[in-house]
Amino acid sequence: MADDEARWIARARAGEAAAFRHLVDANGAALFRVCARITGDRALAEDAVQEALLNAFRHLADFDGRSAFSTWLYRIAVNAALAQVRKRRDAEVAWPQGEGDAAPFDAADESPTPDRQAMSAEIRRHVDAELARMSPMERAAFVLRHHEGRSIEEICAALSLNVSGAKQAIFRAVRKLRAALEASGELI
Amino acid sequence: MNPITDDDLVLYRYRDGLDAARLEQIAAALAESPALRERYAAIERAIAHFDSEALEPDPDLGSRLWRRLSPQLEEAGVVVTSSRGMLDRLRAWLTPTQTRFAFAVAATVLVAIGVGFVVGRQSVTAPPSQVAANDVEAAAARVLEAYVAANLRATEGVLLTASNSGDTSLLEGNRELAQSLVESNRLYALAAARAGNTQLAAFLRQLEPVLLSLANQPGTATLQSSEDLRHFLDSTDLLFQVRTIEARLDRTGKRRADHDGDSAI
Repeated sequence: MADDEARWIARARAGEAAAFRHLVDANGAALFRVCARITGDRALAEDAVQEALLNAFRHLADFDGRSAFSTWLYRIAVNAALAQVRKRRDAEVAWPQGEGDAAPFDAADESPTPDRQAMSAEIRRHVDAELARMSPMERAAFVLRHHEGRSIEEICAALSLNVSGAKQAIFRAVRKLRAALEASGELI
Repeated sequence: MNPITDDDLVLYRYRDGLDAARLEQIAAALAESPALRERYAAIERAIAHFDSEALEPDPDLGSRLWRRLSPQLEEAGVVVTSSRGMLDRLRAWLTPTQTRFAFAVAATVLVAIGVGFVVGRQSVTAPPSQVAANDVEAAAARVLEAYVAANLRATEGVLLTASNSGDTSLLEGNRELAQSLVESNRLYALAAARAGNTQLAAFLRQLEPVLLSLANQPGTATLQSSEDLRHFLDSTDLLFQVRTIEARLDRTGKRRADHDGDSAI
């Protein structure tokens, strides 16, 4: 852990608001990215980051410095994101979507890239449907491996899985995505 | 050799979860087999679909998170109250001379507030018509809020100029503006206290030492002093607080004006 970061953490432990603010600024964006990929929704991601930071700051005394501070925060944020997804899924079960409603992960990208724009609505619908079928754990494991470059060992720690469970979650995520793309003719 | 599954290829893609011997076997097989290469390419294409998701946070994320977290942390007793922390950091930022001067002026303001309190209580005991008194009070509050909001806008400008500008002539003008703001800020703090708006009065009083130190900055203000001020502003959220209160006063003023307009109809 960098000395500078250790100093900010020590100041935060002493209750200094400015130190907490610094830690928010230093880690907020990275936590948002991973939460946004797991939840597929910017608003849910922001709620997850807020929840994670609050939780982390309230238990800052528990941070023992054995792992990097960012890794410790990461673990809390991933679980907060998973909790947000589960909460939303429960709400959707209670209030089922109408046929015309957007697929659950449709809100992930508010500013479509050229790739996305080129993808036909039909393909997009298939892919979204398959992504929605991924369990939060599969999506989280895949996001951590693919986007965040975390090793399987780190994924095990973050998601409380064993090595086999983490690998299987990643395999299932990739299979579901491939199935969606093949069904839409994208990979053929 | 064990057959190479798609799951193996996924792990190979990340060079993770396979031992070195297995990685070598897969690399060799990929080099030899076009069919395996095609399977691997299909996996790569599928995975690439995740990359098109653009999920960059907007630039205000940090500020927004902090606005939501700050009261929760204070409520949970995790952080010391912001005003206390702010005073501590202000002391660290001000030089000893500035501190003595700031406290001397603060003491003067306290005396003035005491006088204002007594005068205010005497005026309350006068027996005007209740309706007329309410109208007068509302009008006075509206005027005070409008003036305080304007004063805070000017204060915001002074703080921004002092922390961002290296132009000496601009800083000279900024010092003069800060001097004029000290006086008006003091008057508005007194007026807010008399009007019973203790929160606003307390906030304006917190601003005074900052304005005083800017008003008394030496003509040879260094880059370091600007840097220190920037650090102070960042660490205390002072600019954010100034803007928030300014916006709140503007909103309240508008509501009062709308209400008065409705009453007049």
